[in-house]
Amino acid sequence: MKYMIGASVAALLSMGSIAHAEDVTITIWSLDDENQPAMNLAQEFSDMDNGITVDYRMIQFDDVVTESMRAFATGQAPDIIAVDNPEHALFAARGAFLDVTDMVAASDEVVAENYFPGPLNSVTWDERLYGVPKATNTIALYYNVDLFKAAGLDPDTPPATWDDLVAAARALNDPDNSVYGIAFSAKASEEGTFQFLPWAQMSGGGYDHINTEGAVHALETWKTLLDDGLASPDTLTRGQWDSTGTFNSGNAAMVISGPWELNRMVDEAQFEWRVALLPVPEEGAARASAMGDFNWAIFANTDHPQEAFQALEYFASQDDRLFPEFGQLPARSDIELPPTGVAPKDAALQVFLEQLQYAQARGPHPEWPKISKAIQDAIQLALTGQMTSVDALNQAQASIDAILAE
Amino acid sequence: MKRIRSSIIDGVGFDLVLVGIPLVFLILFSGLPLVYNVLMSFQEVDLFSLGEVFRPFVGLKNYRALFAQPEFWPIMWNTVIFVFCSIGGQFIVGFGLAVFFNTGFRGSTFIRGLFLVSWVMPGLVVGATWNWILAGDFGVLNYLLSSIGVISENIFWRSDINYSLWAVIITNIWLGTAFNMILLSVGLAGIPKDLYEAASLDGATAFQKFWTITVPMMRSTTGAVISLGLIFTLQQFDLFAAITGGGPANSSNVAQYWAWELSFRQYDFARGATISTIMIAVVMVASVFYVRSTRHEVRG
Repeated sequence: MKYMIGASVAALLSMGSIAHAEDVTITIWSLDDENQPAMNLAQEFSDMDNGITVDYRMIQFDDVVTESMRAFATGQAPDIIAVDNPEHALFAARGAFLDVTDMVAASDEVVAENYFPGPLNSVTWDERLYGVPKATNTIALYYNVDLFKAAGLDPDTPPATWDDLVAAARALNDPDNSVYGIAFSAKASEEGTFQFLPWAQMSGGGYDHINTEGAVHALETWKTLLDDGLASPDTLTRGQWDSTGTFNSGNAAMVISGPWELNRMVDEAQFEWRVALLPVPEEGAARASAMGDFNWAIFANTDHPQEAFQALEYFASQDDRLFPEFGQLPARSDIELPPTGVAPKDAALQVFLEQLQYAQARGPHPEWPKISKAIQDAIQLALTGQMTSVDALNQAQASIDAILAE
Repeated sequence: MKRIRSSIIDGVGFDLVLVGIPLVFLILFSGLPLVYNVLMSFQEVDLFSLGEVFRPFVGLKNYRALFAQPEFWPIMWNTVIFVFCSIGGQFIVGFGLAVFFNTGFRGSTFIRGLFLVSWVMPGLVVGATWNWILAGDFGVLNYLLSSIGVISENIFWRSDINYSLWAVIITNIWLGTAFNMILLSVGLAGIPKDLYEAASLDGATAFQKFWTITVPMMRSTTGAVISLGLIFTLQQFDLFAAITGGGPANSSNVAQYWAWELSFRQYDFARGATISTIMIAVVMVASVFYVRSTRHEVRG
């Protein structure tokens, strides 16, 4: 009897190992490293006893699109990929991503209504869902409270309109002490578009109508900030991270940037700082802000769509860990962010959460990189004085019209 | 069979194998990509046809579209300025240093070796270092210039459209000077000393000796250095990526950086390949000069 039990246990064990050998393997490509969510969550999902093993590959930011496109074209695509949100439509519109609308409708973990409108819009193409937002971020106005007080400004009423912002920058600007009024990024890269597009959107424009009166006013406002020396000329070539560095060191009194700066600012800034919503064109105007970060998507030619979606469901179920463990904001309005105990950071988070309600996706459009380039060119041509703001934006509009007409 | 083997071990066959191995290597790893690149410039390429070789043929459409872009001629002109000024600067400074170290003072060979440090550093590191030197608000260069009274206001080397290209040129001259100096030093060491002795006996001044002996004797080395300089300068990509990113408003954009931007930023691979094809043609002309001047060297 004893032997028989032993034998059956051995049989069960060997059956188990057979089942294990037949595990489904799904491949996930993402740029997250061991300190970021995707790699950890993928590992946890792989370790679960669900018959699915994950083969995780870390890819570089610059290679995401070209690597995965090449892989897709040659039938070597991964099952799941994390893609930057403005590039989502490039894949979705060409049928490279799996339509997950019905899976989401049947899912308890991924509920479309729980997501912020901006991130959800970025995974949507033709009213169908082609992915799940992975995390999100946006931009708002950081300001140095100490410098506000020194310049006689009230830190409890930060600039609310564009005119207020320019006036505050002028009051705070102090070249003798190497302090610029404001820092932001007008770089000729996606970062420039990321920072400028919200200004156009707040004033009634958008990526498909960029030469509106409001957008011209926005660009003129940027030009004033640069021409009057209220922002460093290096704004033209500096990214958001480096621009915020000058704020942290006390060389700029305000900066427009996102929540990814919070931890560094807590460490570096030797002054009191706060965050305010992005100023609007005039009182009562509509709000808008940029929407950043990545989306999850399943490639259309996957052999294991169910298993892949199961992985995304697991990731979504862990969204409440994104902030406390990895410092990223979940793209969902139904998750309460627990207080960190660091007062300025917690206050800032509430502002970013409010700003997220107004965050708008870039596009979505399959030719986004070209549209973005037209906007970057306009910003740079106007700010370097080679064209007037009107002409530069008209030229951008003409390029964008040609792209949209294709 | 035996004859073939003996020919390979000791005969014409051995020579053929020696020539064949690098030839196959070159064709595989340089020739095919080049041909593929040229082919792409005549095709319609999008992200979804990246894995294919035969795509729709569009004739000269990519070329026409490229020439019609408003930034085409400014960028080509930037490329010409970048190449000429970089090579000129590298050569003149490199030649000066080579002549200087050739005088053979104590420790000259050691210091000459130290100069190579700039050449072995990766372009991105050099770019990052020069970023701090060239920074507008807190740059070392601005500090130096204003303390000796050359400038009264900070120059925004990277962000001012009048200076951005020069920021990269200055860095590139610094980067390439050491390489020029080493090659030119070798050339200088090859000039027979008796020529100078004879000239001295005839009463030639140092300046005369330089113009009538050094310069003519260095002709083939100079040709090689300049041709190589052209090739290296046209390949220079890291400095643009690290310092200006081609901006602002394309004021420091050059062909090689633009090709990368088109291909990997806007995913317009066909136009990127078109620029590369134009550059291949230019580099080939330079290569002909290089091969000719080195051949001359062997005979001389």
